[in-house]
Amino acid sequence: MIRFDNLCKRYESGYEALRGVSFEMDAGEMAFLTGHSGAGKSTLLKLLMLIERPTSGNLLINGKNINRLPHSKVPFYRRQVGVVFQNHQLLFDRSVFENVALPLQVAGYSQGDIGRRVRAALDTVGLLDREKHNPITLSGGEQQRVGIARAVVHKPKILLADEPTGNLDPQLSAEIMALFKRFQDVGVTVLVASHDINLINRMDMRIMRLNQGQMEQDGVSYGGY
Amino acid sequence: MAATKSKTRDGGQRGARGQMLSRVDKWHSYRLHHQATLKNSTLKILREPLQSLLTILVIAIALTLPAALYLSVENIRQLSGGVDASAQISVFVKKGARESALKSLTAKLEGLSGVASVTYISAQDARDEFEALSGFGSALQYLDENPLPDSFLVQPLLIGDATRLVTEIRELKLVDDVQLDLEWLQRLDGLLDMGRKLVLALGAALGLGVILVVGNTIRLAIQSRRDEITVVKMVGGTDAYVRRPFLYSGLLFGMFGALIAAIFLTGLGFWLAGPVNKLALLYQSQFSISGLGFSGFLVLLLIGGGVGLIGAWLAVGQHLRNIQPR
Repeated sequence: MIRFDNLCKRYESGYEALRGVSFEMDAGEMAFLTGHSGAGKSTLLKLLMLIERPTSGNLLINGKNINRLPHSKVPFYRRQVGVVFQNHQLLFDRSVFENVALPLQVAGYSQGDIGRRVRAALDTVGLLDREKHNPITLSGGEQQRVGIARAVVHKPKILLADEPTGNLDPQLSAEIMALFKRFQDVGVTVLVASHDINLINRMDMRIMRLNQGQMEQDGVSYGGY
Repeated sequence: MAATKSKTRDGGQRGARGQMLSRVDKWHSYRLHHQATLKNSTLKILREPLQSLLTILVIAIALTLPAALYLSVENIRQLSGGVDASAQISVFVKKGARESALKSLTAKLEGLSGVASVTYISAQDARDEFEALSGFGSALQYLDENPLPDSFLVQPLLIGDATRLVTEIRELKLVDDVQLDLEWLQRLDGLLDMGRKLVLALGAALGLGVILVVGNTIRLAIQSRRDEITVVKMVGGTDAYVRRPFLYSGLLFGMFGALIAAIFLTGLGFWLAGPVNKLALLYQSQFSISGLGFSGFLVLLLIGGGVGLIGAWLAVGQHLRNIQPR
């Protein structure tokens, strides 16, 4: 599903964020991406969202090389990907429902479809009763779950998360991770960047560790630090 | 696990079909989005009445000035059009010309290029008319013979041709004198030409002003909706989708401005109608101001909307590119 082939990313400042990173993820696989801050986690996710383009190497999604995907095709690529941000990036000028509905509106779904799918997504994250609230009135954990609902409402094949539990206490963090696990169960490829080592270790999943832009470790058990 | 599956997949029966959007669905929702965007843009303008009103007023004034000048020029041209008809060349024939010679002169005059019509006025006719109109008729009785010559009235097709025709006619045999009194008409024509050019120049300058005003308003709107634009781009909104509400705002600003400009112009027309009618009465003229008219209003609306759209387009092109998800 996802294949990094000797990928390098050098920023214009000369800083090398990724240096020859290679890995592969199958459809329906879940993995954690970890490492110190500045190790290249965010850059790796940005390459997957086509916010950044690689300097060299190949990035294949579903067998297709997306290195040279033209600018006009980027929106359609992003519709296959769901993204959860650490600061969730919700819009406070509209309700929870409208926030979650955004990816569907953008893709041109009908009103009926939007209603049905948004409620299904909110039901999955357990916030069906909050659809009319403004997200600013929700707690941090609830806001993050709204963000997750928005990331999965259009049923993406790939779900990316950048430090999704960064601001949450351990119990809420565990709940959020369990939620990601449920999406993996229905066939979504899930990649979560996190430096919450304890939490990650308990999940018993594939862990990839970046260090100074290079893949330092890739395996199920985590033995570092 | 199966239960989880059907639950998250929102109605498992729809399955893969649910993922696909048919062309009809897409077209339908495309139209719906246009409608919704138009509605939202209108609401946004109404939600900030003061800010919006200022923008719209500036646009209205910028449209009113050239439009008013244009209407003035058009009205004066209409007035001078009435005078055009009387811009005739009087051709006086030498005394004692024979009838056959007069006939050949008529043919020659008619044969000149740029001549609309030739009217023959015999010396007798001229005398009769003079007697009837001038009030000096009795004075003529003291003269032995008719002092008035035979003459022709030559109507040129275009005022511009008149001077050339005068020289050509002067060359003809039997012609005693040629008179043309339309230098002032030509001057007016020149002035009107200048007026029209002024309208264009003023219109272009103020049109540029409208573009800048709308552009600036849209730029501010873009800045205040930065977060939204970022998220929309992140979840797969196309550039066209992001652009659309701002383009509609620009279009609406321009069209509202044109609407207010039309109201200004109508008011101006009413205000001037009284004095103009009085003046026309003094000159025994049927002239009255003609306003914008419905087609003129539509053109104004089109220009306002177009200029607003261009302003929005430029602002959007400048500023949306810079807003990318991080």
